[in-house]
Amino acid sequence: MITLQLLIDALAIGAAYSLVALGFVLILNATSAVNFSQGDLVMLGGFVAVALAAYLPVPGIVLLPLVLVIMAGLGLVFSAVAYFPLRRRPPEAVFISTIAVGIILQNGANAVFGPEPQAAPALLGSGEVELGGLSIGRQSLAVIATAIVLILALRWLLGGTQFGRRLRATAQDPDMAAAVGIPVSAMIAITFALATALAGAAGALLAHNFFVTPTDGTNYILKAYIAVTIGGWGSIPGAVAGAGLIAIFEVIYPALPILVPALGRVDWSGIAFSQTTSTIVLDAIILLILLVRPQGLFGEAVRQRP
Amino acid sequence: MRWTKLGAVSLAALAVGGIDCARPALAADANVPVLVPLTGFLSVEGTSQRNGAVLALGSPPAGVKATFDVSDTGVSPEVAVNALERAVSQGPVTAVVASMLGAQVLALLPVALEHKVPLITISGTAAVTQQGNPYIFRFFPGDQVVKEAQVLFAIKQYKIKHPAVIYQTTAYGQSGHGAIDESLKKHGIEPVYEEALDVSIKDMTPTLSKAKAAGADSLLLQLHGGPTALFLKAAASANLGLPIVAGSGVSQPSTVALLDPLELKGVCGETGSSPVSAETPEMTRFLAQYRKAYSADPDSFAVQQYDGTMMVLDAVAHGAKDAAAVTAALSTNSYKGVAMTYKSDGHGDMAHSAVIICYDGQSRIPKVAMHYTEDQAAK
Repeated sequence: MITLQLLIDALAIGAAYSLVALGFVLILNATSAVNFSQGDLVMLGGFVAVALAAYLPVPGIVLLPLVLVIMAGLGLVFSAVAYFPLRRRPPEAVFISTIAVGIILQNGANAVFGPEPQAAPALLGSGEVELGGLSIGRQSLAVIATAIVLILALRWLLGGTQFGRRLRATAQDPDMAAAVGIPVSAMIAITFALATALAGAAGALLAHNFFVTPTDGTNYILKAYIAVTIGGWGSIPGAVAGAGLIAIFEVIYPALPILVPALGRVDWSGIAFSQTTSTIVLDAIILLILLVRPQGLFGEAVRQRP
Repeated sequence: MRWTKLGAVSLAALAVGGIDCARPALAADANVPVLVPLTGFLSVEGTSQRNGAVLALGSPPAGVKATFDVSDTGVSPEVAVNALERAVSQGPVTAVVASMLGAQVLALLPVALEHKVPLITISGTAAVTQQGNPYIFRFFPGDQVVKEAQVLFAIKQYKIKHPAVIYQTTAYGQSGHGAIDESLKKHGIEPVYEEALDVSIKDMTPTLSKAKAAGADSLLLQLHGGPTALFLKAAASANLGLPIVAGSGVSQPSTVALLDPLELKGVCGETGSSPVSAETPEMTRFLAQYRKAYSADPDSFAVQQYDGTMMVLDAVAHGAKDAAAVTAALSTNSYKGVAMTYKSDGHGDMAHSAVIICYDGQSRIPKVAMHYTEDQAAK
């Protein structure tokens, strides 16, 4: 029972973190710029869901498309304000501007929504569902299903449509893409819209079980950065895998003494499997990956790590 | 931003606080800068602190004219120090409402000593009043008081023998954890499980499972407001059936608002005071005053910062004309505030009592289950 529950929890968290990391990778690939405000965009998505719920008391699954549309619109504004005016400047200018956007979003959310944690509505209602005699959190299942749908939709968009091929061409070589008639600026703006929408979706999914506060962005950008570093700088499957690994270390690793009772009986179990040690081990793994396999587990080393 | 008693807050305070509008001619000025964390991870508590201070400054005793600037100190010590340096450089300061973040207060202490200006704070970090600095006055019970109350209640109410202690990795968590362990040891109890949680930890299931597996008969928490809500939600979902005695995070209305009343059923927690429980006429009046001013419920931080600020203004009303006189008054006088009576113990600790609140599962308004004073500990 507890094993299944932990697995579901890890999958749900990993799925939501995947959306954060995917948005990060999309902008990275399209612009070669690290978007340091990705975490704050996740936070904003959570607050957009909270705000919408105040006016539309409907389940979160109904609000989600609205969150996606609003956040995509904000993504366009984001690109117009923080990327396009600086695109010909050194790369540092863009990532500094994304830091500035993140600070503005954080303080703006603090001013508008207040500092208190708030909860977004559940996707399909809170509580548990009975599956084969086991009680599983309804929201966790809904988060997993929604994230899978969004990831598959993104995969189809990028890999199965002409539009996606144009986006990828822009990401791989903007000058060549422009030479063959692809509207590069429009493609980049759309990439920002997609990435911001994904961040917003992640925020809306996470803000029911885990609430949302204006300062949450800092944690999420760290997770995105770590996921992308583990999975491979610029790799979309790598981002998903990296996010999954973070979730495993957040949920499964600290619970190993429960899942493997023999581990719980050793003297050093308490220290070795504490939440703090879990973070240390994850960070040690990142260092190891950087040393042994700097291109990340999925190794699409097409970008230089800033 | 320049605030004066003519603001909306003061109007609300005048209307509800029962203060005589036909005041005598102004007899004294009090300049009390408010330096509190309004952004960053302590912004919820910092906002409460600001609200309490501003409410007091907006309704000073008759004959006192209060002026103040509010500065956001964020969460870094250097920002707080810069704010204090700026405040004292702009003219005579009567007293300073100092951030409740322990790390910031510790950084402010040398500056206060240099300029001989009293700091009024509600930081719970034990170290702030252990530096031998005569200019620090804490209007919130320290960890040694509230954690003893927490442990004593758990022993009396639930006969705990094998508690699990879950705490935050922050200074707040570590300081409280030390005090809990010390108190448990004093009562001959050793925790069967302890876990430190980073504030970014979202899933509490592993921690709950390990506490249960370790044979814990109760859960003692020292978590910030948001993580307290996450923990209680997970505990309710897991249906562990273990008594929970939480830290002051569970007394914050913003924490409780995240939970269904049923998820709070049977949960208790320590705090300095519980204004929403409105135990006394003074507390009822303060509650109404605060709600009118801010359209929100106050927590213990708000009411006790209100009391601390009011004690400064009361000293001014009684003839303390400068920072030195206010420092002397704070060091020696006692003051009956809304939450309790305050008097310095010689180290600047002004608050010496705590309460334990419990939720009945039907309402988000807790009931006070136990009053605790330091005298009880001495006995």
